[in-house]
Amino acid sequence: MADFEEDAGKLTVKVVYYGPAQSGKTTNLLRLHDLPGPQLKGEIMTLETRNDRTLFFDLLPMGLRAPSGLLIKLRLFTVPGQVAHDGTRKAILSRADGVVFVADSHRNQTTNNAESFDNLMHNAARVGLDFARLPLVIQFNTRDLPQDVLVPEDAIRNDWRQAPWPLMFSSALQGAGVHATFASLLEVLYGALDAEFELGRRHQLDRQAFVSGLCGSGTTESGS
Amino acid sequence: MSAVDRNFPLQDLVGPSLRGRLQSRLDLLTGVHTALADLHGTLLWGALPAGNSYRIPVELELEPVGHLIAACETPDRLKAAAGLLEMILQQRAQYLMAADLHLEAVQSDYESLLAKHAELEASEARLRVLSRQLEDRVREQVDLIEARQRQLYESERLAAVGQLAAGVAHEINNPIGFVRSNLVTAKRYVASLAELHDAISKSSSSGVRALSDRLDLGFIVEDFGVLLDDCVQGADRIARIVSDLKSFASIDGAEYERFDLGEKLVAVCGMVEAALPPGVSLTCRVDDGSLQVKGHVGHLNQALFNILRNAVQAVRDHGKVSVRAEREGDRVRIEIEDDGEGMTAEVRRRAFEPFFSTRDVGAGTGLGLTVARDAVRAHEGQIEIDSAPGRGCRVRIQLPVVTP
Repeated sequence: MADFEEDAGKLTVKVVYYGPAQSGKTTNLLRLHDLPGPQLKGEIMTLETRNDRTLFFDLLPMGLRAPSGLLIKLRLFTVPGQVAHDGTRKAILSRADGVVFVADSHRNQTTNNAESFDNLMHNAARVGLDFARLPLVIQFNTRDLPQDVLVPEDAIRNDWRQAPWPLMFSSALQGAGVHATFASLLEVLYGALDAEFELGRRHQLDRQAFVSGLCGSGTTESGS
Repeated sequence: MSAVDRNFPLQDLVGPSLRGRLQSRLDLLTGVHTALADLHGTLLWGALPAGNSYRIPVELELEPVGHLIAACETPDRLKAAAGLLEMILQQRAQYLMAADLHLEAVQSDYESLLAKHAELEASEARLRVLSRQLEDRVREQVDLIEARQRQLYESERLAAVGQLAAGVAHEINNPIGFVRSNLVTAKRYVASLAELHDAISKSSSSGVRALSDRLDLGFIVEDFGVLLDDCVQGADRIARIVSDLKSFASIDGAEYERFDLGEKLVAVCGMVEAALPPGVSLTCRVDDGSLQVKGHVGHLNQALFNILRNAVQAVRDHGKVSVRAEREGDRVRIEIEDDGEGMTAEVRRRAFEPFFSTRDVGAGTGLGLTVARDAVRAHEGQIEIDSAPGRGCRVRIQLPVVTP
């Protein structure tokens, strides 16, 4: 549920990077912060803990200004992946406008991926999100792992062939696929926001301008 | 709204305790007097300078939250100070968000724990109820098994007695039959003897008459008839006892049947009467034909016999025992009363308790009244004892009547 403050001319949109522990959610945010892209980019907030585990969340604010003058502010959050922090995950997921599910491509993480996805569906229901309509992108990260422990792309595509969500492959550590994933989410997100806030008609902001304004247009990268 | 979705106004980010310290350090760094204003123009510290001044926006998450204001030559130092302030604000915002989030997560975890706890308590309560019901059921079953065991014990004992009685009755029936028949025949013979005696007394032979007188033949003939009559009565009595015994011994007709409880009661009285000590009288008043009940003949016989035997034993060698059975609405009421020693309250309270006996060890099993109560209850009847020391004892039984 994006927060539209008409008087302030501001639309605040919340995107959550969800997924099992250590699948690379924070790394996704760090890459997005490092790469050139959005019109407006804020400082990344991370609560660093020992072992680089996210304890509460990371937050990367970014934004763009529509031709109408409307400031669209995106707040990108990560959740703590560890099972124990479910209360925190639920609080962060609350009122999310879009979700990137970051899965781990390691063979032995298949069960954790499934459990985390179940947890996402469960928590979405608990905080009152309509999961069927929620803009969602599935990202299989950690593609840089050695081949012998990596679940092959074909197998993943086969597993998810029935799913309605975009399926992306990335290596956040190397920066590959991070932008593509984000752009892919922005595509879906635009549809949802345009339907509710008439971005195109009232604010003269079309889909392409929305995506490139937040993601940059000239970025090239391998992956996906 | 979640903690992370909240906007933090500048007042919250720069709390009163922080303001003075920040102001003094920023003033020292910039070399001028700074002022910090929020978006509404309210000053958090310092004073608006008169004349020319610079207003540097202080931003958090892409948006200005206030301005750092000072009158200075160039804005460079002021901008650096604003940047420094932004970094501090970001840290503060992050801390506040994390703290709120933590509280929210803890609260939600706590609530879900409370909910789980309530569920657990409810299921524990259900379990407690179930376990109580189970205990009750087990106790009921145990009571039932014990009652059945007592009945079995007693009915086996009585079955053995019954078998013996039936065997004895059968063996006695034949000889007693021909004994009686012969006695009747013998009585006819006595008539012939009487005729002979008459003839002799009128005889002309003095020798024969003298012999008859010496042998007191007249008395013999007269007394012979009386003796034989007594014998016939005795044989009849034996035959009746045997018949009662047979009736009582119908112990193992396992099925419920319909029968006249009055008849059975009379038979039981007959059996007890046969073994009655000389100083004890037994009266039995039973309504005829109206006491139809349905049940297990053997068990009810046994119950009545046990109570009656107790009554007889209670009066010891001298006293009265009376049995009364009558119809009362749709019930049969049987009262067995004795004028014996009576029971104390304690004995009365425990009278139906299994293996409780006031008799010497070995003289009673302590099961008589227990078995009687079980049998009466099994026939949907009631049994109660009214007694006090020295005032005898009355046992009252009520059983449902079956209407034709």
